[in-house]
Amino acid sequence: MTATTLLWPIVFPAAAAIILFLIPSRIKVVREVLAVLSSLVVLYLGFSLFSQKNLSLVTDWLGMGINFDLRLYHFSSFILLALSGFLFLICLYSAVKMKDHPRVREYYGYVFLAAAFSNGAVLANNFILLVFFWEALLITTYALITLGLKPTSHRTAVKSLIIGGFCDFSMILGIGLLWASTGTLTMDKIHVEPHGLAAAAFILMMIGAIGKAGAMPFHTWIPDAALDAPVSFMAFMPASFEKLLGIYLLARITLDFFELKVGSTLAIILMIIGAATIVLAVFMALIQKDFKKLLSFHAVSQVGYMILGIGTAIPIGIAGGIFHMINHAMYKCGLFLSAGSVEHRTGTTELKKLGGLSREMPWTALGFTVCALAISGVWPLNGFVSKEMVFHGALETGYPIFAIAAWVGAIFTFASFLKAGHSVFFGARSTDVPKTKESEAPIVLPILILAALCITFGVYNKLPLQTFIQPILEGHVEAGEHLDFTAHALSLFNPVAAVSILCLIIALGIHLYGWNRSGKKAYLASEPIHQLPGLRKLYDLSEARFFDLYEQGVKLLQWLSKVLFRFIDRPIDYLYEKVVTAVGRTFTGILQKAHNGQYANYLAWTIGGLVVVIWIILQLLK
Amino acid sequence: MKVEVITLLTIFIPILGSLLVPLAGAISPKLRSFWSVLLGGITACLPLTLIPQALKGGEIIWSKSLALGLDFILVIDPLSIFMSIVSSFIGFLIIIYSLGYIHHEDNQNEYYLMVILFIGSMMGLVFSASLVFMYLFWEIIAIACWRLIGFYRQKDYILKADKAFLLTFGGAVVMLLGFIVIYEQTGTFNLVAMRGVAISGTAVLLILFGMFSKSATVPLHTWLPDAGVAPTTVTALLHAAVLVKIGVYAYARLFLYTFKIPDVWQQAIIIMAVLSSLIAAGAATVENDFKRILAYSTVSQIGYIFLGLSVATPTAISGSLLFILMHGLAKAGLFLCAGIVLHATHKRDIREMGGLIKTMPVTAISFLICAFSVIGLPPLGGFFSKLLVIMGTVQANQVWVAALALFTAVLTMFYLMRVFAMVFLGELKIAAPEKTPSMVGVVAILAVLSVLAGLFVSYPMKLVQMATTHISWWLK
Repeated sequence: MTATTLLWPIVFPAAAAIILFLIPSRIKVVREVLAVLSSLVVLYLGFSLFSQKNLSLVTDWLGMGINFDLRLYHFSSFILLALSGFLFLICLYSAVKMKDHPRVREYYGYVFLAAAFSNGAVLANNFILLVFFWEALLITTYALITLGLKPTSHRTAVKSLIIGGFCDFSMILGIGLLWASTGTLTMDKIHVEPHGLAAAAFILMMIGAIGKAGAMPFHTWIPDAALDAPVSFMAFMPASFEKLLGIYLLARITLDFFELKVGSTLAIILMIIGAATIVLAVFMALIQKDFKKLLSFHAVSQVGYMILGIGTAIPIGIAGGIFHMINHAMYKCGLFLSAGSVEHRTGTTELKKLGGLSREMPWTALGFTVCALAISGVWPLNGFVSKEMVFHGALETGYPIFAIAAWVGAIFTFASFLKAGHSVFFGARSTDVPKTKESEAPIVLPILILAALCITFGVYNKLPLQTFIQPILEGHVEAGEHLDFTAHALSLFNPVAAVSILCLIIALGIHLYGWNRSGKKAYLASEPIHQLPGLRKLYDLSEARFFDLYEQGVKLLQWLSKVLFRFIDRPIDYLYEKVVTAVGRTFTGILQKAHNGQYANYLAWTIGGLVVVIWIILQLLK
Repeated sequence: MKVEVITLLTIFIPILGSLLVPLAGAISPKLRSFWSVLLGGITACLPLTLIPQALKGGEIIWSKSLALGLDFILVIDPLSIFMSIVSSFIGFLIIIYSLGYIHHEDNQNEYYLMVILFIGSMMGLVFSASLVFMYLFWEIIAIACWRLIGFYRQKDYILKADKAFLLTFGGAVVMLLGFIVIYEQTGTFNLVAMRGVAISGTAVLLILFGMFSKSATVPLHTWLPDAGVAPTTVTALLHAAVLVKIGVYAYARLFLYTFKIPDVWQQAIIIMAVLSSLIAAGAATVENDFKRILAYSTVSQIGYIFLGLSVATPTAISGSLLFILMHGLAKAGLFLCAGIVLHATHKRDIREMGGLIKTMPVTAISFLICAFSVIGLPPLGGFFSKLLVIMGTVQANQVWVAALALFTAVLTMFYLMRVFAMVFLGELKIAAPEKTPSMVGVVAILAVLSVLAGLFVSYPMKLVQMATTHISWWLK
């Protein structure tokens, strides 16, 4: 394999995007088959590059140290493989789910373009190249959200664009600072201590990374998109691709570009963001009345675990964070796809209208259950393993508060999934939706594959931990330190696991209590918490988008613009329009009056002028 | 052909050829269109043949002695070649678009005469290496611009044209004083002979009046939004190809290539540029008139170009030069899209439009692509120029300025997406079809060029790099 092979994961999906876009809409099956085949080729590329490990391609691009520089190594090849796997599943799923979409041509075009950009971002070894691919994803995200075809879709798309733009611009500034201080843009050559300006660079670049991953407070477009965008987009971008990319970059920032010390201010900032994201988002998730929206808040909440894990700066925590990233991508993708499967058959995702679907849609229900248990951290699924690692890491930092926050998150995660599963698949069959049947194989298959992976990555956690995660941390821990994270991966007999299990029991209690209180209506099981005196007010404010930084930010922008316009721009124009013309008019008015046509008057002017001229000449002669 | 001959032809074919436009018009309108497109085409093609010269680097000075020390001197270097390519090419596209846009209006003879004279004078200005001839072409452009803004003869339109003329003329006269101050100091108008001369703050201030008024920078900018009363083709020409790029070009030619300016002024210009950018973006957010929004957006983007040139790191300078190209393509695209919409709906207020993507799909998509380029999103060309300006600003230790510039970029995103949503999305209010093929075609070409300029940025970048190293010789 030559170095130019590295171009394939970028060029091939981009070419596929163009071809899929150009196939006329009336041709039906060809597009779907081609899309699945192309994604298989990408998957093959992912596998072959993963087995390749080290490759590098450097060519001139813009000059000034801005090269077209791609580098494949264990971390990027792992992410590349994961991305291509999800691309395949999404394409398979979309083959049925999206086939009648009026803008299906664009859909596949954007999906494959997004894949090309993501692969580029992962392979980039030059910051400018990274930003190029990274920011280009804003356009595909924007475009994919508009394909939701709801009246509010475009609004949400713009929201994602502006929030994403803000985060990416922050990252650009951070990269600029890093460039100015280190003098290079080559990513694998940079490793600095975050002090002074470098600390600012760290924060700014971190905003770019966690913004892509969808952490608080940059998450608010995700719940909106849950309702406004196609569900396969949710499984594609916020659930899998964006998490993989965001956390990949965050890990690169904390491990490679900067040296993050355990318990340093920056590490604590990261952990606070992580813990706050876990807790706040899960509380929002708990009370949601819509299946997809509930999932979308979990997509935010779970990022918290990854950020918290990486913020611990302790090997087991970092490994846990990265492992959680891949686990989350699998089960959250599976969950969104199963929500899509339900929507596909019943036409709704409102919890109130659904119920008892497990008999008619057994495979979807099975896939959902496995993924839901995995996200809740039930033994022996993958979520359990990675969450335990994060808990251990958080405890080791010496700030147990973060572990407690993570546990609180675990309680309500499980509670809300009990509610969701109970309302959609189990409990009494609702009468709001007509009798239905299981979705087609291409829809069910990806869900089941993901569920199977959740089990595999849990039970045989040694496999992913040793092949994928461990190599990333090599060279970042002190020599001789043990790098085996599998030691107590599935152990139930340690205090941390005991607390986690206790959390699950509490969650079950909360659900059953709420279910009983609300007259055995599962979708109302969260009401007792929703109606708690203090919380009720906060929830109401939140529903009114009071805490939505975007909405507040837009108000600020509008206010600022008005101030700039009214108090700077308009006064300047007034100066030209009114003051200058008035002065001119007055001046010409005086001259006009002086020229009144009387002979004596003009004579006086002439004599006066003559006197002045003579005086000047006399002065000069002196 | 020799490089000097090509350059002279580039300048004088359009200037002299434009005078024949009324003659052609007297014979037949077809001939006039043909003649205009031919002149535009030749002017666009000739500078392209100079690319090998530009990539070779170095400069060629050609001069013709005239009386009183007012020598006619040409400087053919990567900067002037780059600038002439960008201006003449976009100008050419606008002439083609005009065929559709203007074909049922009166005074077409005058229109094409002025447009081509405009482009020719721009070529003259770009290649001039003498302050006197720079001023001469500068004012020919002002006159052409005055006639074109007042193309529709309504009284208030004429007033706006007068405003534009008086403001830019006023600025240019003050600039002329600055030139005289420099002449006092050096005894020559020859820019090549003056390279490296340190000039006083007074001269800088006087010359800045000229540059800022021509390039519509706060506080000398309000004529530009008002100039939106002109036919959209003219506005596009003013914004994208010729007029507002003059001040920027003069800055590069005078304050980078030729003179050394005091550090205080260097810093002051940086701050003025970034504030101008922010204020104009704010105004663009408030306005509801389609063309005024785009006009303020130009003021805002010009701020970036000035910013890059004034921080004067190699990265920032090359970013600014690239910006001239990228902004030219994208802004021409935006204005010409607006032209199609205005032409079809006869409305200017974006609140009265909506849903036009259904009847004008090509225009809508082209508008979106050009808007993304102006915002600075990859993979479009505008991304690279804005990124390099900002990176260069950070390198010059102006971190807060860079942060403000990025904030302005967020604001840009906000108001351009607002325009797009209000004009093209939502409920269809006026069902107007898109026409004519030449108009829609040009718009689509500009959008495609914005994409290609981003994907193959390394080609223009080579030229830009040459120009940067050539004009910032003192950085070594």
